[in-house]
Amino acid sequence: MKQSKKWSRNKIAFPILSSMLVASLAACGGNEENNASGEGSEDSITIMTTAYTTEPPAEDSPALKELEEFTGKDITMNWVLDSAYADKLNITLASGNLPEIIMIPTKLPSFVSAVRDDAFWELGPYLKDYPNLSQANEITLQNSSIDGKIYGIYRARPLGRNGVIIRKDWLTNLGMENPKTIDEFYNTMKAFTEKDPDGNGKNDTYGMVISKYTGPFDVMQTWFGAPNKWGEDKDGKLQPDFMTDEYFEAQKFFKKLYDEGLINEDFAVMDPQKWGDPLLNGQAGTIVDVLDRAHRAEETMLQAKPELKEPLDVFGAVEGPNGLFNLPTSGYSGMLAIPKASVETEEELKEVLAFIDKLSEKEAQVLAYNGVEGTHYELEGDQYKPLVELTDPRANEFVDLNQFQTGIPENRFYTEELTPLIEKEEQVKVENEEIVVPNPAEALLSEVYAQKGQQLDNIINDARIKFIVGQIDEAGFKEAIELWKTSGGNDYIEEINKLYKEAQK
Amino acid sequence: MSLFKSNSSQTELAVDVPQAKPADSSMKTFLKRLKKDKWLYLLLIPGLLYFIVFKYAPMWGLIIAFQDYSPFKGVLGSEWVGFDHFKNFFQNPDFFRLLRNTFILAVLDLVFFFPAPIILALLLNELRINLYKRTVQTLIYVPHFMSWVIIASITYIFFTTSGGVANEIVAHFYGKEINFLSSPDWFRPLIMGQIIWKETGWGTVIFLAALATVDQEQYEAAIVDGAGRFRRLWHVTLPAVRSTIIVLLILRLGNFLDTGFQQIFLMTNSLNRDVADVFDTYVYFVGITQGAFSYSTAVGLFKSVVGIILVLGANKLAKKMGQEGIF
Amino acid sequence: MGMPKMHNTPGGRIFDVVNFVVLGVIGILMIIPFLYVIAGSFATEAELTSRSFFIFPETFTLEAYEYIFSTDRFIRSILVSIGVTVVGTIVCLFFTFSMAYPLSRRNLAGRNLFMNMVVFSMMFSGGMIPTYIVVKSLGLLDSYWALILPIAINPFNLIIVKTFFQNIPIELEESAKVDGCTELGIFWRIMLPLSKPVIATFALFYAVAIWNDFFSALLYISDSSKWPVQVLLQQIILLSQSTIGDTAATGAEYVTPPDQSLKLAVVVIATLPILIIYPFLQKHFAKGMLLGSVKG
Repeated sequence: MKQSKKWSRNKIAFPILSSMLVASLAACGGNEENNASGEGSEDSITIMTTAYTTEPPAEDSPALKELEEFTGKDITMNWVLDSAYADKLNITLASGNLPEIIMIPTKLPSFVSAVRDDAFWELGPYLKDYPNLSQANEITLQNSSIDGKIYGIYRARPLGRNGVIIRKDWLTNLGMENPKTIDEFYNTMKAFTEKDPDGNGKNDTYGMVISKYTGPFDVMQTWFGAPNKWGEDKDGKLQPDFMTDEYFEAQKFFKKLYDEGLINEDFAVMDPQKWGDPLLNGQAGTIVDVLDRAHRAEETMLQAKPELKEPLDVFGAVEGPNGLFNLPTSGYSGMLAIPKASVETEEELKEVLAFIDKLSEKEAQVLAYNGVEGTHYELEGDQYKPLVELTDPRANEFVDLNQFQTGIPENRFYTEELTPLIEKEEQVKVENEEIVVPNPAEALLSEVYAQKGQQLDNIINDARIKFIVGQIDEAGFKEAIELWKTSGGNDYIEEINKLYKEAQK
Repeated sequence: MSLFKSNSSQTELAVDVPQAKPADSSMKTFLKRLKKDKWLYLLLIPGLLYFIVFKYAPMWGLIIAFQDYSPFKGVLGSEWVGFDHFKNFFQNPDFFRLLRNTFILAVLDLVFFFPAPIILALLLNELRINLYKRTVQTLIYVPHFMSWVIIASITYIFFTTSGGVANEIVAHFYGKEINFLSSPDWFRPLIMGQIIWKETGWGTVIFLAALATVDQEQYEAAIVDGAGRFRRLWHVTLPAVRSTIIVLLILRLGNFLDTGFQQIFLMTNSLNRDVADVFDTYVYFVGITQGAFSYSTAVGLFKSVVGIILVLGANKLAKKMGQEGIF
Repeated sequence: MGMPKMHNTPGGRIFDVVNFVVLGVIGILMIIPFLYVIAGSFATEAELTSRSFFIFPETFTLEAYEYIFSTDRFIRSILVSIGVTVVGTIVCLFFTFSMAYPLSRRNLAGRNLFMNMVVFSMMFSGGMIPTYIVVKSLGLLDSYWALILPIAINPFNLIIVKTFFQNIPIELEESAKVDGCTELGIFWRIMLPLSKPVIATFALFYAVAIWNDFFSALLYISDSSKWPVQVLLQQIILLSQSTIGDTAATGAEYVTPPDQSLKLAVVVIATLPILIIYPFLQKHFAKGMLLGSVKG
């Protein structure tokens, strides 16, 4: 009895399920064109770029609508969450269904190969015709080029973003000032570790926190005069940074910091997500990172301990034996490229470039970064007052619109009244631009590196860490360099020098 | 005696059936079967369609292992390079180190992780209090849902030499702290520990389901025969899950060279890389970050070939030993 | 049901006690990190950065959850996840069991060919781009079916279900045939009701797989209102990683990293619904159901 009842139910379930499947397959057939390129209408433009919020601005976003009005283009956004961007980009390239503007996050091999197959417009010769784009930074353009030519308009980022964040109150307690030289820096680390800078009578502080992420070492070694990845030797040939004496001097300095306990003992294994914690909870006195970490850290520290007032200060670099140097960033974060498949004629290309140029106008930048006046912000006289916090859902109406902003030649959107610390950060960023060491090989695309780069980098990085913690000595480090050379490093040096010579012609 | 009789009714099946086949195969019954089987084929259709559409239709992607594939050019436009990628891979100076590390982790996984859910399921099966049993089951099932990023973070919190809880306990008993996270000697135990912690509870689910098929009468018969706890386990419980164990073991061999990429990637650092680099992390760097589709496909193909050889070999071996195998 | 009464020797009793204690300890060891995640989701940022490990936060705050539920984004994505998981599990079970049964019949002509096909597809896969093109050409982009159909059969599960069917005594089938049942009838009326624990097990497996899958959604779904909750979780976890050093330098510096407590709260929100189904399915793992019901 029981079974026959079930049987009849199952008898129904089967056809329902299968018809459901068939129906769904058929029903979805109509959707196929929904991310097609904006071809057809002259005034429409499709943009593929990253989304960082999980709810990027939709078609009906007031900010996007105003942006459409301002640019005179019907904008279709193709948002891709950054977690899948590289994959989605490769898929898009493979499927041939390309938008008019496509954001290229880095010089991915699939992009480079497409460029070499003439899939993208070379933009260099056109830039001079546009009021904003013509003011693009030469060095950054050079950095973002492929085989010496411009195939994408970079999204500008500050070059001098690296610096040192330091506990100002600790310095005051110890009667010290921001260090100016490497020796002073060392003394500060020593005092932070040994002289109870927080005055709690306990030996519970140390100089600087470093994590598994080795960026801080890369920054600090430029203080010693080590080149940024590649430097010219006395014959004018490029050699990698770690073959220079300055580099090794820097490693010895790091080793000294480590041996004397001035940096955290577990740095080689520290979870990078926990990197900032010792600074925030008053264990470590300095951190070498991007400068904008400072005001974020200060906010968190003040939440826990409002009595701290102004706990942090920033500076760019300290002076080494050869002068004052700092490590730059590449100066850009991704670029906007224009495929020939969707933008077929030069006429159309010029229109797309005019659109990108127009995005740098103040009105467009404000829409992308501040939103719509009256809805997302208001102006009291000259002073910008946000009406919605970035965490507010209404902020999602504009937040990711800055993902197709180039910021060329400069940022023109409104900023909040700056705290002294943010102001200092900005000032240091500007000062940094004078002392940053460019990487002469930044724009060069090496085949050897594409194939073996990670392995090569690991050899040197591992040797460096092992040297600092004392697992290998100087001879061991030299051995690692030999291993690097025989693992493809020699070919790499040769190739880079060849490309370097060609680029200089 | 009845103990062995009742318990073997299950295992005899495997042996019985192949013998039944020739008896059935007279022409008449064969045709009769074929006619009846039309319903079976009907049932098979959705599944077959699935495999054809979603597994075999995309299979052309494998040929990029023999090309210099570029997504923009597509498979038709990309250049053919024959076995170049395989040559590069095998001649890579790191090849043997990668093979060694992958192989050792795979063997450790088979020896330590694979039996863990079986043992835990058997222990759970012996629990008398049902509510307690269900509670424990639910608790041990939770770690499966934690992402590796979180687990790596918690592992760091526990094992760091700067105030990690576990290391403080170690220091208390052993006198000094151990560099679990940076020492190459501790890398493999740590990886095994993490995977056992994360997946053992989840792994018991399938064995508990298999144990649910054990005939209660067999237990009763065994008790009547005076069989003790251990003998009942050995003669009644284990045979019931044996076919599941064998199937899972064979299937595991198919992924023999697969290691948890994310887990290993997160636990690797400059001091333990010598033992931590495996095929999967290598392919990640070369294939994904450098975009070498063809190369990573070639490495994947190599792993697949190893996997299929192991599966077919193990399957044959299982059949030789009188077990069913997977097909 | 429950265990039949058994003799218990002193050794057996000691074993029971030890087993009781050992399993309890294992249970606690396995749940502790999750308790930390829950505690952290209710803690302040200051506490999370200063205390390395805790199960009870000193100051209890609902801030992270208030933020999560300040918009309908999370609720919507959880509803999407639940919907896709429920429908997907049914579809997956249908595909898997209907294929496993014929493959378990030993005298089915062509069975070996089909099995080889299944096993081969476990080892070799065409990769992401070809699969994407198949999904696209079926018109499944931006459809929830793209999250279900490409993973409708896990070959691994299929083979295990097949093995379960094979273990069902052949006499049952024979007697059903004598009663005039077709193969289809045997499948629906005898085999499926008999495999309830197996169905429960694989319902769980498929539900968990579908629930945890975020990559399909990232690839196939561009409409953000259709994203399941795992996509949001993934994005938050990734954001907290991508604001580290050089990634931040080249990435989106205008993105502020999420608070740790927010990250942990999203983990809790994205995990709890799927955790809850286990105790409900557990009762189907009750002992003796399979063969017991055959004989009863």
